[in-house]
Amino acid sequence: MSVKIEASEGGMPHDTMLGIGVVGALVCLYIVYLNSLMSTEVFAFFGGLAAVIALWWGTDSIKTLCSYGLGTGVPSAGMISLGSGVIAFLFASKLAGISPLLVPIGCIFIAAIIGAILGFISDKVLNMNIPVMTRMIAELTIVGSLTMLGFTAMVSGSFIFTDLIAGSVSFLGMEVTSYAASVIGGCVLATIFMLGAIAIQHPFNACLGPNESWDRTQMCALECGFLSMLVVAIMSVAFLSLFAVVISFAISVILWGWSYSEYIKLSKRDAFAWLDSKPIREVGGE
Amino acid sequence: MSALGGGAAGGEGINPTASLIALVIVLVAVAVVFVVYPAALVPLIGVIIGGVLISFGVHFVPVGGAPAAMGQAPGIATGVAMLAAGGGLAGLFGGAWAAEFGIAISLAAGAIGGGLLMAITCLMVNVVYVYAMGIPAASGKVDKDPITGDTFPAYKSQGTEGHGLPFISYVGGVLGGLFGGMGGTLIYYELLQVYEEALPSFLGTTEGMTTLAVSLAGIFAVGMFLVAAVLTAYNITGTIEGPHDPKFKRWPRAVIGSSAASAVCGLFAILLVVI
Repeated sequence: MSVKIEASEGGMPHDTMLGIGVVGALVCLYIVYLNSLMSTEVFAFFGGLAAVIALWWGTDSIKTLCSYGLGTGVPSAGMISLGSGVIAFLFASKLAGISPLLVPIGCIFIAAIIGAILGFISDKVLNMNIPVMTRMIAELTIVGSLTMLGFTAMVSGSFIFTDLIAGSVSFLGMEVTSYAASVIGGCVLATIFMLGAIAIQHPFNACLGPNESWDRTQMCALECGFLSMLVVAIMSVAFLSLFAVVISFAISVILWGWSYSEYIKLSKRDAFAWLDSKPIREVGGE
Repeated sequence: MSALGGGAAGGEGINPTASLIALVIVLVAVAVVFVVYPAALVPLIGVIIGGVLISFGVHFVPVGGAPAAMGQAPGIATGVAMLAAGGGLAGLFGGAWAAEFGIAISLAAGAIGGGLLMAITCLMVNVVYVYAMGIPAASGKVDKDPITGDTFPAYKSQGTEGHGLPFISYVGGVLGGLFGGMGGTLIYYELLQVYEEALPSFLGTTEGMTTLAVSLAGIFAVGMFLVAAVLTAYNITGTIEGPHDPKFKRWPRAVIGSSAASAVCGLFAILLVVI
């Protein structure tokens, strides 16, 4: 069994972050569903917020998992998170055939099943023997699927499978349904996949080290999330009305600017703490 | 190269109970598909074989990680997941382009694509090592290259585990690319068959269905490829030099694990067209 090394002291307990992540992302995703009820598109940006909340929680899951020493670097955890998450997300979006309200909650359940199996395989079959492995891989799969669900809802204003595969193109002034000009048919999903993967694997990978601090890592997670959200807002030009796109874009720019300036402040604070060179702080472990 | 300097986990040997459970998961997934959608039984088995090929292939790839970037360990200076994704996805794109010519040409194109990417990567890595960093290729795990017979100890710097990319590692990298590219293409090809058959009847039109099937199969194949590659990375725990490395003997448990993971992911990908 490997030895746990505390990454950073203090900060919010992981269970609290899990609660905030799940509830916050679900609430935001159900607000996106108001688009269908009120036949508007302006609530699309809540999908991006759901994804950022999930990423904020997922960064702490990666930190908990990687404090045991995977041996493969932090990004691999982000890749398995999105790789399994996209499968859970696409399957869950099909549940809309039963009831659209089932999609976000079903997404969490299916991702938990896939993630628990993958976690069991890595922990027991591959003999990693890390106590938190099964739970953290399951959490990361849920985070990956919620990120995909959130960003997809933001880009198209809906998370229902039949909406995702049908786009519309105007041909000689007439609106024609086209499966090729849709979120899935145009493979916008692939871009969303990488935007989510970068946002989840970067923050802890960038901030880890002996003077890693909880608030700086989490602020970096928010910053990466909002940056991906900004790109998703630009991509949504292809699917949403101009008014909804402008709202998404403005909110993304404001939130990204805020998180970036906060992150720089925290980085300067932590850099100042190391102004006089000191021996590397031992924070636990062997 | 664990993130925080903690000891890398991952013991030797196979856990029999867990492996049995993994095989039961594979059988349950196959049984579920056989009951609810028998037409997809062969594609699911193809997906499982694809996952196994990826997982087996990744063990060949010489992964050096951060120590290799500093010339302190042999191999390519990045992580398993990144290298596998590079080689495998290059193969997947090559194979996907050839999907209309049938399974044999498609698999061959995928394998060549993955192998070609790894061959170019290994070549350029050695160019950088030899001409830019000024270090010779020397393995730390064996004294003699099994293929060329070159001896290493005289060239190995003290305090390192070897450095550079010996010929056996180069061959391993190309073999890994061939297997990985073939596995990724097989997953894509089998899922494409399922979707091309099922989507038109589900939506009642054939217009634009090919695009939809290609996109769905592509994104699922990328997802499953990354799952299989990362699980293999966890099995290797860090660095591996290639087929001559003692860690290579760990491949059976990665194959068991990846077959279970591909079976579960493939099951959900196929159930997508059933519900």
